[in-house]
Amino acid sequence: MSECRHQWNMTNVRFGFVAFEKCFHCSGVRTFFSKEESPHLGEAYREEEHFWSRVENAQSLRFDLVCSECGRVEDYTELMGLLHCTGCLPECEVEILQQKLEKEKTWLVVAFGHLPPGSDEPFSPEKMKILTDHFNQRRDTSRSRIRVVSFSLIKDFTVCKGEFIHDVGMLSQEPPAERKPLF
Amino acid sequence: MTINELVGSVGLKPLSTFEDRDISGVFVSDMVSDVMAGAKSGNLWLTIQTHKSVIPAANLVDVSAVIITGGKEIPQETVELASKYSIAVLSSELPTFELVGKLYELGLGK
Repeated sequence: MSECRHQWNMTNVRFGFVAFEKCFHCSGVRTFFSKEESPHLGEAYREEEHFWSRVENAQSLRFDLVCSECGRVEDYTELMGLLHCTGCLPECEVEILQQKLEKEKTWLVVAFGHLPPGSDEPFSPEKMKILTDHFNQRRDTSRSRIRVVSFSLIKDFTVCKGEFIHDVGMLSQEPPAERKPLF
Repeated sequence: MTINELVGSVGLKPLSTFEDRDISGVFVSDMVSDVMAGAKSGNLWLTIQTHKSVIPAANLVDVSAVIITGGKEIPQETVELASKYSIAVLSSELPTFELVGKLYELGLGK
């Protein structure tokens, strides 16, 4: 087992867009990371029984983490974004954990994988711990801490009203009148 | 220099409730992804963005304060979320460029 007390820093930072596509036939949603320079909306195409249309582009970044002590690199290709939980569902495991952690001045952040979620958990507990360690190593932890958890804790994606920490809708000077479900 | 000392020095208007703390450096960006990648703990974050999404990003990387420049009106839900995290949201009537100059004169860029 490694003896290294890892110090995690971002590496291979790539800025781009998380593209959201929706099928108007089955209402399915899927996402992918794009490095195109001029992302566009609305282009529709057919793929077997699906009719996909790009409904959102969120400016984002993709990164890996490297330990400055031992050089180990941890890949986060499967990370689509980080989500701020708005506490929309009292019975959701994310909200239950959030309520508990807030008493300890620990703020919860949800790591989201690309959609649709596969049958395998994209984020191992070790990957979540490393991401948590990275953000805590960047902060004054005597004041508060960060805890990153996997999106697999979310009870129901279809009613989740969490908010991605993405650059989308940032030019609006008006807050949305009503929060809508993510998907 | 602390946030409360800075408020009086450059005429900032505090909007959220926050715990005073030391400032270390300045980060200027209007993209949350840029902040997530590059801002450091204790930085002041200068932006024209008033959207609520700036607060979770500011909290994630532990900036000391978010300064909204150019006298922009800031939604109440942005202020309330900042207060929950004890993040200072400060408003400045100055454009970003002028405020950066004043902060540099105060030694925050060195």
